[in-house]
Amino acid sequence: MTKQLLLEDHIKKNKRATIFVCTFMALLFIGIVFAFGLIFTGNPYIGLFFGLPIALVYIAITYSFSVQTVISASKARPANPNIREEKLLIYKVEEMAIAAGLPTPKVYVQDSNNINAFATGKKPEDAIICATTGALQKLKPDELEGVIGHEMSHIKNHDILIATVTIAVVGAIALISEIIFWSVFWGGAGRSRGKNDNGAILIAIAILFAILAPIFSRLTYFAISRRREYLADSNGAYLTRNPEGLAKALERIKNDMPQGKPKGSKTVAPLYIANPFKRQTLNSIWSTHPPIDERIKRLRSM
Amino acid sequence: MDLLTIGIIIIVLILVIAVLIFFSYYNKIIRLENRIDNSWAQIDVQLKRRADLIPNLMESVKGYMKHEKEVLENVTKARSAIMNAKTPQENIDADNMLTGALKSLFAVAEGYPDLKANQNFLNLQDELTHTEDKIAYSRQHYNDSVLSFNNTIETFPGIIFAKRMNKKEKEMLQIPEASRELPKVKF
Repeated sequence: MTKQLLLEDHIKKNKRATIFVCTFMALLFIGIVFAFGLIFTGNPYIGLFFGLPIALVYIAITYSFSVQTVISASKARPANPNIREEKLLIYKVEEMAIAAGLPTPKVYVQDSNNINAFATGKKPEDAIICATTGALQKLKPDELEGVIGHEMSHIKNHDILIATVTIAVVGAIALISEIIFWSVFWGGAGRSRGKNDNGAILIAIAILFAILAPIFSRLTYFAISRRREYLADSNGAYLTRNPEGLAKALERIKNDMPQGKPKGSKTVAPLYIANPFKRQTLNSIWSTHPPIDERIKRLRSM
Repeated sequence: MDLLTIGIIIIVLILVIAVLIFFSYYNKIIRLENRIDNSWAQIDVQLKRRADLIPNLMESVKGYMKHEKEVLENVTKARSAIMNAKTPQENIDADNMLTGALKSLFAVAEGYPDLKANQNFLNLQDELTHTEDKIAYSRQHYNDSVLSFNNTIETFPGIIFAKRMNKKEKEMLQIPEASRELPKVKF
């Protein structure tokens, strides 16, 4: 029983942290929209009225396109139930869906020697779980179960939504910042506005903010991504009731040297169980995944 | 605006919020209760599915395991116990019996290389293991659902609504701890 409580603590802690960083991201976004209005019209609220709807539409469009492209970018194919390994993968996905109380996702396989897996789909009802052939061949049943539990938790936690929306927000912030930067550079905006010192200082702050916001939004995005990984680890362990399975799988991934060039685009990296583009061993604020040793340590402490 | 209008607006706002909270909690409790019923149905489906697979399994091992009468009989007995079970607990006991009987059967099968090479048998073995896992996970989900239902109706403010709605704490299923033990088989 105490074990379960510990697990639930992990889950609660990560949820709170996600809310915290997401709020920070939203503040950055509102801040840059404010700065936009202030620099171009002298009135921050105008940016809110015009910039916000445009940015929201941009985010919605990015979201609706990004998910479709994930499967084609990774060159995945539907799992073949006539091959025993892939049949067992389908079985595992069905079992984890029952444990999570979710509809069974579609199962895909990516031909690759590396051990990896990812989940995608806009909502739990049309989710997809994909594993590499390397994962099917190299992972033991309980390890594969841990990995699938992790991916199922991403689906249950709506992490695909969170990941794509935050990517879109980062893009929107970068775009607005770019517009501000170039218009200031060409000397168009803000010139007539600085009638008094107060106004000039405000404009200067707004410009400084516009320069810093893209960097901070990126860092926030990475922080959210890492939080969601920890959360999916502990939720996945809660589904399988076996943190050791996932811990062993991560150990195997760590010791399994990447072979060949990874398929797919870097934007989908946060959806994978471990970053397919580089092996994360150091704690860096510039990475989508937490260091693998830290993840193993946390799983073993549950 | 005089004080009276402000007072009325505040009272109306509080009432609206109270009604909204009432509806959301009412719905939450009903939803959690339905989830429990739903996960019970899920367990039932898996149990039936497993029982349906047994005749096929018997058919495929019959030719090989002529001298393992007891093992085969135990499986058949457990299966009919599932078919005749009336209460949830009976159902679960019968299923535990079947799990044990199947374990012995698969352990005995290790001694029959011909059987181990039979594709049909291998498929059935995979599928039976899979259904067994599904049963375990649907029980787990049942208990998870019961836990969140109980937590909701026993803590504030859910407890107020639960009393009015006459909802009582539900019981979890007893899941056998020793299910990972190795079966005792006499060769």
